[in-house]
Parts: sequence; structure tokens; C-alpha cells
Amino acid sequence: MPAKSISNYLPAGLLLVGGALVGAGWYTHPHRVIFWTIAMLLIACLATILFFISRSSTDDANALRAGVVFAGLILVIPLGLKLATTLGAHDHADISKRAMMAIIGAFLMFTGNALPKTLTPLSVLRCDPARAQAFQRFAGWTWVLTGLALAVVWLALPLHLADSLTFVLLPAGILIIAVQCARLRWSRHSAVTASHN
Amino acid sequence: MDTVFKALSDPTRRRVLQLLRQRPMSAGELSDHFAVSKPTMSAHFSVLQNAGLIEAEKTGRTILYRLKMSVLEDALLAFTDTLGWNWKTNWKTKPRDDVTRRQKLHPAKEEV
Repeated sequence: MPAKSISNYLPAGLLLVGGALVGAGWYTHPHRVIFWTIAMLLIACLATILFFISRSSTDDANALRAGVVFAGLILVIPLGLKLATTLGAHDHADISKRAMMAIIGAFLMFTGNALPKTLTPLSVLRCDPARAQAFQRFAGWTWVLTGLALAVVWLALPLHLADSLTFVLLPAGILIIAVQCARLRWSRHSAVTASHN
Repeated sequence: MDTVFKALSDPTRRRVLQLLRQRPMSAGELSDHFAVSKPTMSAHFSVLQNAGLIEAEKTGRTILYRLKMSVLEDALLAFTDTLGWNWKTNWKTKPRDDVTRRQKLHPAKEEV
């Protein structure tokens, strides 16, 4: 039986650490019952997903595992930093928020990076394959750059500025992709109309 | 990742990827751009497929090759292409669309 690498245990390990941190947070801040309950439910959901895909090694299962790892990181790092602040290990109260937003930026980069690799079979593709490919590449690059900008903004800029820029960056990224999608559809529609005339 | 670096290390394979950036193409269409034998091109396609950079799909009687590169691999291609062009070709000679300089000089030694 081949030995499993340490990365195979990463999702489950992160959830265990997350559960321990939620427990510790609940103990130190017992008045935030709703927050801790939601966090516990989230961990339970992620653990259930992991249980169902534990024996599968398909691409979908691996994508779900990567999602669980990112969700675990989003949970564990801010909670760990928050607990460290509470215990007096450091006095940067905003560091957990910065870390969480930087991880969200990394997640956007991760999903954007994989976007051009997800190919629809040509037999079921209802548009020009060249256009579909161009759109996927464009969307992937836009999403990666949006994520990178988000991570840099939250790691480098003052909190109030990072807060404001988040509300510019994310809608801008989505808008650029939506406009490109509409432009491609519109140009295809024009081409079809012209060919009929 | 080793297979990706190996695939990107060859100028012919990089050119194939650049051509596939425009649109999916058949093996014949791609081979028309290069002055190398079909088995050599086939070996190049095989290396690219093993690295997960392209995907072959059969439509009717032809096999269409499509780009399957992540953003990181795309950036890596641009990067290696810039460096590779500077390293492996004479910078005064504009790289031809069809034949790499090495293949022109040594047609018998078609490296895969």
C-alpha cells in the first residue's frame, strides 16, 4: 500500500485545528454564541464533504479538497491570530482581518488560475471554440490579477484604504469579465445576423 | 511541474502553444507551420499532452488540439519564450514562423 503524503492529511488537519480554535474562542469570548455556532456548523459541513470524497481521487474530488483547504485556512489563520491577540501574544488587532482578506485574494488567484484549464467538450460547446477559449483565458487572467491586487492591498495598505479599495477591486473584476462576455456574445450575434442577411 | 518545464523548453512546442492560443487546430493545420516530419510533430504533441498543456479531442475524422493552460503556465510560456528566444536564437535573426533555427541548421537532429 503506497504511503500517503502529508498533503493528504492537510484538509482534515486544518478542520481539526479549526475546531480546536473555535472551542478556544468560545471559551474566551462566550458572549458571541451565534458566531461560534456558525463556525462549528461550517466545520461540520466541511468535514462531511471530506468524508464523502475521502475515497475518490477524481478531478472534482481534488477540486473540492482544495476548496476545503482554502476554507480551512480562511477559518484557522484569522481565528489563530485572534486568539493570539486575546492571549496577549501580539497587539495588532487588525492582523486577523488582513490575513483573512489576503487568503481570500489567494483563493481568487487559485480559482482564476484554474479557469482556463476547465474545458467544455467541443461536442456540447454551443459557441465558437476560439471565442470560448479567448474568454476563458481573459477571465482567468482578470480573476488572478484581481485576487493578487486584493491580497497586496490588504497586506500593504492602511485598513481604511484597503476596505474602500476592496469595494472597487472586486466589482471592477466582475464587471470587466461581464463586459467581455457580453462583447463576445454581441459580436457573435452580429456575425450570425450578418450571415443570415 | 517537471513535465511542464520540459514541454516549454523546446521552441517548436512553444510555437505550437502560441498557435493554439489563437484557436483550436487539427494536427495537420499545426504541422503546416513547421518543416518537421509528422512523427516528430506527433511526439511534440504527446509531450504537450503529457504535461497537461493541450488536450486532443476527436471531432468526426479529425483530432482537434486545444489549449489547456492555467494562467501560471501561460505566464511561464511568455517568460520562457522571451528568455528562450534570447538564448537559443540569434537576436538579429527574426524567428521564422515555420522553422526554428536549430532545425534549419541541423535538419537530421530533430530533438524531441
